[in-house]
Order: sequence, then structure tokens, then C-alpha cells
Amino acid sequence: MASSDPLSASGGQGAAPVATGAPPDAVEGAGKLVPRHLLVPFILLLLCFTAWGAAANLTDVLVGVFRGIFDMSNFQSSLVQFAYYGAYFLLALPAAFITSRFGYKAGVLVGLGLAALGGLLFIPAGQILAYEMFLLALFVLAAGLSILETSANPFVIAMGDEQTATQRLNLAQAFNPIGANIGVLMGAVLILPGLTPEASKVIMSPQELAESQEADLSLVLTPYIGIAAVLIGIWVLIAVRKMHLPPAPEAIDLTEGGSGGTFSRLWANKHYRYGVFAQFFNVAAQTCTWTFTILYAQDVVGTSPESAGWWLQISLIIFLISRFVMTWLLTIFRPTLLLLLMAGFGVLCCLTSMFVLNIVGLIAVVSISAALSLMFPTIYGVALRGLGDDAKFGAAGLVMAILGGAIMPMVHAAVMDASSPAMGFVVPAICLALVALYALFDLRSHRPGVASAQPEVVAS
Amino acid sequence: MTRRRTAVVTASAMGMLMTLGACGDSREEVTVGLITKQEENPYWLALRETAEKTADDQGVTLLTATGTSDADVESQQKAIADMVAKGVNGILIAPTDSAALLPAVEAARAAGVIVIALDTPFDPVDAVDAYFTTDNVRAGELVGEYAAAKAKELGMTPQVAMLGLTPGFLSGDQREAGFLASMGLDAKDPAIVADVDTQGDRELANDAMAKILQDNQDVNVVYAVNEPAALGALDALGAANIDPADIVLVSVDGGCGAIKDGVRPGLIDATAQQYPANMAREGVLAIVDAVRDDQPPNGYLDTGVQLITGNPAPGVDSRDVAYGVRNCWGE
Repeated sequence: MASSDPLSASGGQGAAPVATGAPPDAVEGAGKLVPRHLLVPFILLLLCFTAWGAAANLTDVLVGVFRGIFDMSNFQSSLVQFAYYGAYFLLALPAAFITSRFGYKAGVLVGLGLAALGGLLFIPAGQILAYEMFLLALFVLAAGLSILETSANPFVIAMGDEQTATQRLNLAQAFNPIGANIGVLMGAVLILPGLTPEASKVIMSPQELAESQEADLSLVLTPYIGIAAVLIGIWVLIAVRKMHLPPAPEAIDLTEGGSGGTFSRLWANKHYRYGVFAQFFNVAAQTCTWTFTILYAQDVVGTSPESAGWWLQISLIIFLISRFVMTWLLTIFRPTLLLLLMAGFGVLCCLTSMFVLNIVGLIAVVSISAALSLMFPTIYGVALRGLGDDAKFGAAGLVMAILGGAIMPMVHAAVMDASSPAMGFVVPAICLALVALYALFDLRSHRPGVASAQPEVVAS
Repeated sequence: MTRRRTAVVTASAMGMLMTLGACGDSREEVTVGLITKQEENPYWLALRETAEKTADDQGVTLLTATGTSDADVESQQKAIADMVAKGVNGILIAPTDSAALLPAVEAARAAGVIVIALDTPFDPVDAVDAYFTTDNVRAGELVGEYAAAKAKELGMTPQVAMLGLTPGFLSGDQREAGFLASMGLDAKDPAIVADVDTQGDRELANDAMAKILQDNQDVNVVYAVNEPAALGALDALGAANIDPADIVLVSVDGGCGAIKDGVRPGLIDATAQQYPANMAREGVLAIVDAVRDDQPPNGYLDTGVQLITGNPAPGVDSRDVAYGVRNCWGE
């Protein structure tokens, strides 16, 4: 996830608390990005950022792969994303607890261990040939990555001088989209071209079908075993290394500040409250789009599975490039004006994909990624603006909007099953329209510039 | 039919091929010849492309040849002789003339070359080692089952127009027989208001259907032997201002154009999709088996057929349009 992932696109789950590290030799390393004694652990964490980007976007490929292998409906295959993003959502708070209670290193080790276990669970799943077992493996993998991400972000911040903390985090985050592209590339190169052609199954005996299922699942196994192996290697290297790190931040007291505490203040703030919903629908639109790009290419346009994989790859590259373009455009336009324009563009792309059932529709699907590229950080920034200390907890709420990635792909898939593959894109269209409404709300409302629970006034 | 390797083997072989690539391919050399009728029709193009991919996966040399039309016997005779001279292990051929090509095929087999007929049989069928094609009777049965169930669902008393192929053309006769059997009709049944030959051509089918509609306003089920004939029928319905929703139109083939522009919008209610890719893949693999594993092919292989519709009929198994698009041939 990253640049491709909504969580880390803006700093991730643990981005809020900036701790200062003061190991013995940090003084001589002051001003440097990373002190020499933490260079190896830092590089290992960069690998973690790459690994979870790869795992997340490899999941996008899996939905179509499992549909073909197990010959099931789109809804059933979308449970892959439910398991993955559902685990991310459920583990968000326990992950924060583990880090604050046991420290960064423990959090990273627990996350790495659990994620590696999830990767290894693909082995028995491949032997049992049961879809449910693969869902369990994905859930465990994502649970581990959720903990890893929660710990790794503040871990990176703590690995040196406070002045260079943002630089360090940005550098680490940059490895996430690289991982995302590697994930899709692994799917496009290692899995999709080797799958048993669907038409050939028409003439297979039950035994031959079982053999083809086994052969196809072994293709799925390979990249996950590879990811697990990398994670185990990182686990060992971090576990055996002594590190001088500052204590992890303590858990946030949600009752502090009186008058109902942090939660009440945040909930009374419309920019924040609507921002959480906007983030939910943004993550939903992103997950739906990337999950169903491959299926659209195959089911609507009729491309081969391997070509479909490359179309998803192009989507991620467009997303990455658009990030830089949007950064530049944000120097010209007000953020929510640009958000409104891009959300509108995204809706148009979705509508095109629904009604133009050829290569133009597929290009429209791929183009949605350009619209998505600015959304997470923009909504994140707009929703948290002026919240003061409440921003720490507020950030967690925005991150938990990842639940949209778990739920809405199932709705998208259900529409596909009930109507047609192209009509499924009505779901991201509605999601992006709601994001546009949030942008419009921000543009038309007066906003107090301080952290408070005072209600905003929407301009008439 | 000897043991049939499947695409599973192909997938596994890809991995093996990658491994062997670094140190050279130690597998026994195999050369396969593929002769199609012509390549203006995407059906034959799809067949050739799959043969090329399978040959590549298997480390096999593939020689290809094609004619200029479905009746170009001379080009195929020459191609057979050329391929035998080049020492191919086997020839996959879709014969343009089941009788005229017999001497060339006999000469090839006498020279130790395995010959497999694809799509179209020789006469006699056992003039070659094996015959891989769609079960055309089954294709007709599938669309017949659908048309009967759909007509019943809509409360129609079937008044059937048959747009056939050409008299004596085996695949057309088989499809028609299968359709009529599933509909519970015999060739003389009064429910069949017209039975015409269209040669599977869109223009001829348009003309024939226009004439049928002039004579029989109450036609409500149309059987088209292939998709060009179905599209011709739709042209005629449009010209007569008849809503295709009032007619149950079924066909056979499964080409991408007809699936996307005919079945997807519901103009063609259902089609029986055949798989030229399976013919090509299984053909190449059969010759590889014969050479490398000493398991020569024989007999008949059904290469599969599926009913595709966006509007399922009660009690009739079918696959959706998305499946049809994923597995169609042509553009």
C-alpha cells in the first residue's frame, strides 16, 4: 500500500507521534538522515515498506486468479479483499497498543512474524486446495503487515535526529509504491501467464481439473513464499541486532481535555467527521478500481489474463506519476478545488467504463488512478487541519477508514454478479461523487483555524 | 484416444522450459505442421496463434501454411507435400475438401507422418490418425434446449425458422439435428415454418430471413447455424421493424464480435461457443506425446462447447457473457 497504499500515502498509522531518538552515538550523527549504528536496521525497515506494498497489490491480482481457479462468483472472490483490508482495520488499534506497550522493535518483530506466518500458511492452503484456507492466510498476513506498518512508521521517525524525521519517513514511504509495483509485476509475470486457460477446462476430466487447480495454486504460492522468506530474513536480522532507541509513545488518553474528551470534540467537527467518511469512500474507490481492473480487461474487453495484469501495472504507474503532477498542481490550486476536479474526473472515467464497453472503457478504468492519486493525503490534511493535539487520535480514525477497502469491493462484485462486469463501476463512481461532495463542502464552508469542537458554518 | 495432455502440462512445462533455457533444451526435437483453410476468418487465426504458443511452450518447431479460401484445395495439397519433405513429425490440418486431399494425406502417413484433422473431418473419418473438433450435435442440442426453455418461459408456441448451412455439410447437418432433437421436433414438423440454406453468410442469411418474415409473420424462434447467419437475421428483423426481444434467436460459434455485439446486448439470446484454441493446443500436444512419449493419437476428441447467454433460461446450464468474452476468438 503506499503511494499505492492509502495508509502510508500520508504517513501511515504511526505517523503522528514524532519521538526523538538519542542513542549514544546519535550526537555525532546529528543532522544526518540516519546514525551509522542504525543504518542496517533502517535499510531493513525500507525492505519492510517494500514488502507490504508488494503484498497489498499482489492481492489485487489474486481476486481474479481465485475466481478462475475455484470457478466462483465475483462476490465470493472479492472476499480476498475483505480478508485483507478487514485484518488491516481490525488490527489497527491492537497494533498501536503493542507498539506503545512493548516498544517499536517488539511491534516490528510481532508484525514481521505474523506476516511471515501468513505467507507460510499459503503452503497448507495449497495442499488442502480450500479457498477458505487462503482467506485465512491472507488475513494473518495482513494482520501482521498492519502491526508492522503501525510500528515501522514511528520506528523510522525515531531512528535519528528529529530535524530529519520527515525526510526519513518520506524516504521510507517512497519504497512503498516501489513494492506496490513489484507486487503487481510478480502477479503479471509469475502467476497470470502460467494459469491454465479457462477454455481448456471445458474438456478436462475431474482428475485433470484437480491437477490444474493444484498447478495454478502452486503459481500463487511462489510469490507469497518469497515474501515470507524475505520477512523471516528481516525478522532474524532485526531480532539479533541491539538497538538504542527511545521509548515508544504512550497511548492517547481519549478523555483528556474535558467536555466529553477527544472523541466528542472530533465528532463535533464536521470537517473531520465528513473527512472520515470521505476517506472511507476514497479508499473504497481505490480498492474497487484496482481490484476490478484485471476483471474488466478480461470480462469486458476480452484481453488475455497476462495483458490484463499489465493494464493494472499501468494503473499503478499512472498513480505514481500523477502523485508528482498533483504535488505541482497543489502549488497552483486550492487542495479541495483540485480534489473536487479530480473526483469529478474520476466519476466521468467510471461512467465511461460503464457504458463504453471496449478499449476506451478500459483506458477510462486505468485513468481513474490519476484521479485517485491526490485523494488520501489531501483528505487527510483537510480533515486534520486545525485539530491541534486531537490530530493524533484523529489520524487513527482516518486510517481506520480503510474499512472502505474491505466492504465496498464486495458491493462492487455483487453488482457485477447481478448486472454486468462494467456496471460494477457504478460503485467507485458513487464513492468518488461523495468525495467530490466533501471537497465542495470544504470549499463552501467557513472554518475556524483552531483546534476546537466549534461547528463550522456552511456557506449558503 | 490416447492419454490427453492438458494445459496443466503446458503450465508446468513453462516453468521447466525457463529452467532448461539456461542450459539448453534437452527434450527430443519435434516439428509440427499446421495447415488452416484461410486466415481471413479470425477462427483460424485464433487456432494458429494457440498452436504457436503451445509449440513455443513445448519447445517444438511449428511450420504453418494456409489457403486463400475455404475451398482452396491446391494450397493445402502443396502444403502437405512441402511439410512432409521438410521432415515434420505430424500435420494438423483443417481440410478444405475431405475427399480431394486424401491422396496427399495417405502419402504423408505412408512417410510416417502423423495426421490429425482439426475442425472438419476427412471422408472417411479414419483416413487420418485422429480427429479433434467440436461436438456439433451437442452444440445444436445446447441452443435447442435453451430455445425450448426460453419459449416455454415466455409462453410462446414455437414457430421456428431454420437458417442452415449447406446441404451435405457435416457440421451444419449435425448442429441442425441436435437443435431439432432438443426442441422435440423432427425435420417435417409443422412448427418449422422455414428451413433455408445460408452458407453461413450474413448477406444470404439477411435475404433469406427477409423472405421468411414476408411469408411468416408469426416466427418467434430463429435458429442460425453460425453467428454471421444470426447477424444477417438481425439485419432482416431490423429492416422489418421487428423487435429482437420478441424473437428467441440462437446460434453457434462464440466469436468475439458476435458475443460482444450480439449476445451481450441481448440481440442474440444464446450461442454455443466452440474453442478452436483447444483444437490447436491438443493437436500440438498430441504430436508431442507421440514423439516424446511414444503415445500416438487415435480416434476422436471433443474439444468442448458451452452455452453462452446473458439471459439464462430456467433449468438450462449456461455460462454468462463475461465467460463468453474471456474465451471468445477474434476481435
